[in-house]
Amino acid sequence: MARTLAMFTDTSVCIGCRACEVACKQWNQLPAETPVWTGGYQAQSHFTDKTWRHVKFIEKKDERNEPKWLLMSDVCKHCNNAGCLEACPTGAIYRTPFGTVDISQDICNGCRYCVSACPFGVVAFNHGTGRVNKCSFCVDRTSEGMQTACAKTCPTKSIEFGYRDELAAKAKKRLAALRAQGVKEANLYGEDENGPLGGLNAFFLLMDKPEVYGLPVEPRLPQKPIFKDAGLSAGTAILVGLGAIVAFRQRGGGDNGGEE
Amino acid sequence: MPNLQSPHWPLLIDIYFFLVGLAGGAFMAAGVADIFGSRKDRVVTKVGTYLALLAMLPGPLFLIIDLGMPSRFLHMLMVPKAATTIGMSAINIGPFHIKPYSPMNMGAWALLGFGVCAFIVALTLYLEDKGGTINLAPVRGAFGAIGVALAFFVAAYPGQLLSATAQPFWRNARPLGALFLAIGASTGMATIALILSLRGPEVSGSLAKVRRAYTIAVVLQALALIAVFMAVARGPFWSASRAGLLTSGSYSLAFWVGAVGIGLLAPLILEVRDGFFQGYRQGRGMVAVASLLILVGGFLTKYVMFAVGQG
Ligand code: SF4
Ligand code: SF4
Repeated sequence: MARTLAMFTDTSVCIGCRACEVACKQWNQLPAETPVWTGGYQAQSHFTDKTWRHVKFIEKKDERNEPKWLLMSDVCKHCNNAGCLEACPTGAIYRTPFGTVDISQDICNGCRYCVSACPFGVVAFNHGTGRVNKCSFCVDRTSEGMQTACAKTCPTKSIEFGYRDELAAKAKKRLAALRAQGVKEANLYGEDENGPLGGLNAFFLLMDKPEVYGLPVEPRLPQKPIFKDAGLSAGTAILVGLGAIVAFRQRGGGDNGGEE
Repeated sequence: MPNLQSPHWPLLIDIYFFLVGLAGGAFMAAGVADIFGSRKDRVVTKVGTYLALLAMLPGPLFLIIDLGMPSRFLHMLMVPKAATTIGMSAINIGPFHIKPYSPMNMGAWALLGFGVCAFIVALTLYLEDKGGTINLAPVRGAFGAIGVALAFFVAAYPGQLLSATAQPFWRNARPLGALFLAIGASTGMATIALILSLRGPEVSGSLAKVRRAYTIAVVLQALALIAVFMAVARGPFWSASRAGLLTSGSYSLAFWVGAVGIGLLAPLILEVRDGFFQGYRQGRGMVAVASLLILVGGFLTKYVMFAVGQG
């Protein structure tokens, strides 16, 4: 396996220009969508099958009670332990040699199980093709040694592309710098490979708590407790079976079929 | 609450979950009756096996219709030239793949195996009835035993499939597999009882046994339902607030009247009064009523669990 690639999205320098969304759509040939009314400047309420980079505009009041923006260019997290990948019954979702997660359109049969299994609500069903879509980490660029379209375009370097270990070090330095400037709320999301989901290969520097951005605080791999659940099911199966055996077993020898 | 996407599975999937559970429950009873029952209980084995086969048959069709690309249904089990990095526990054997962490994949395999076993068992019963003297009991025993294990699997896996998602209610309702299994058992055996209640008094002994067995399953179903609620209550608030849709929200009627009243309380009262205290003396009409209650209640229980989680 090649060295793991990653994207680091530093929301503190995002200006909400949505160039990443546009670059993503251009490279991946995704059509524009009619904006929906979200109560603010945010164009969509969440990811769709045609929007794989999605800029969130979150309005908040700061300490002086002045309105302020929290901007965040959201994307598939390319989880090290990915719920979508484990769920997929066809094996359409696979891990690329770069450690990212991609969906093979040749294999997906549109069962939508991955849609329900992503802790971040990333995968979306495409009614036109009958298959599902999400950020591919520009697999057709990265495998040619190019960086992702969104990172290439981002004018403020809010999105950076590179090797995971290098970017993680960079993210920690940036966090320390912000903290030194007194930005106490700043935090890293998904950078820790010992953290939830074994770390995210698209990780973020957030300017507020994850839940403010609609991100789960402790994302879990949905499949993790599956064998424990199976134990519960097996236990119930044994009880149901024993119940039936008790009911059917011969009473008092003779072949009288129970009580007649 | 975090941003999530719903799979938007239609009612068809609900119906599939119900039928496949019913098939599993019926086959389980058929197997137990075959091994532990008397010679007269062969009627249970026969009704149970044919019923299981019949109830599972439309299943694959429903699943295929729901796919975005129905022509690719075989990809559930096999893909020519597949990637090998498709999950941490995935096993690739030639073009086939087995993914223990994907209940949908495991369920597809189990459904295939269950269908084969149910078919062979049904064939042995048919041949014995036709052939007169031939005894296919050993063949039936072998495939019956494997089939019963798979029957439990196909009854439980839809529940586990739901709790292995990120959807707030489902993922916290860990005993959903156990609940679905119990519903499969109660509805499967209730259908057998319903069919037997249409027969003459010569099956009344076997009918009493089936009723005793499904009463136990209904009790387990009640316990599993309580366990689901306890598990959800321990989860984060948004999962508990989904559960609120069941107890006092838009699904409360279906839940209290359907799942609890019709599915659990009414049949239990009927069965306990007549069965345990009076030795199953009630007429066959009452059996039919109790069976229908269990069927309707079982379907509605699965329905509300499905709907409330999908949101
Ligand atoms: S964020 Fe969702 S879609 Fe992306 S890899 Fe993780 S589980 Fe899969
Ligand atoms: S919709 Fe496609 S990618 Fe998603 S789980 Fe089903 S087969 Fe896999």
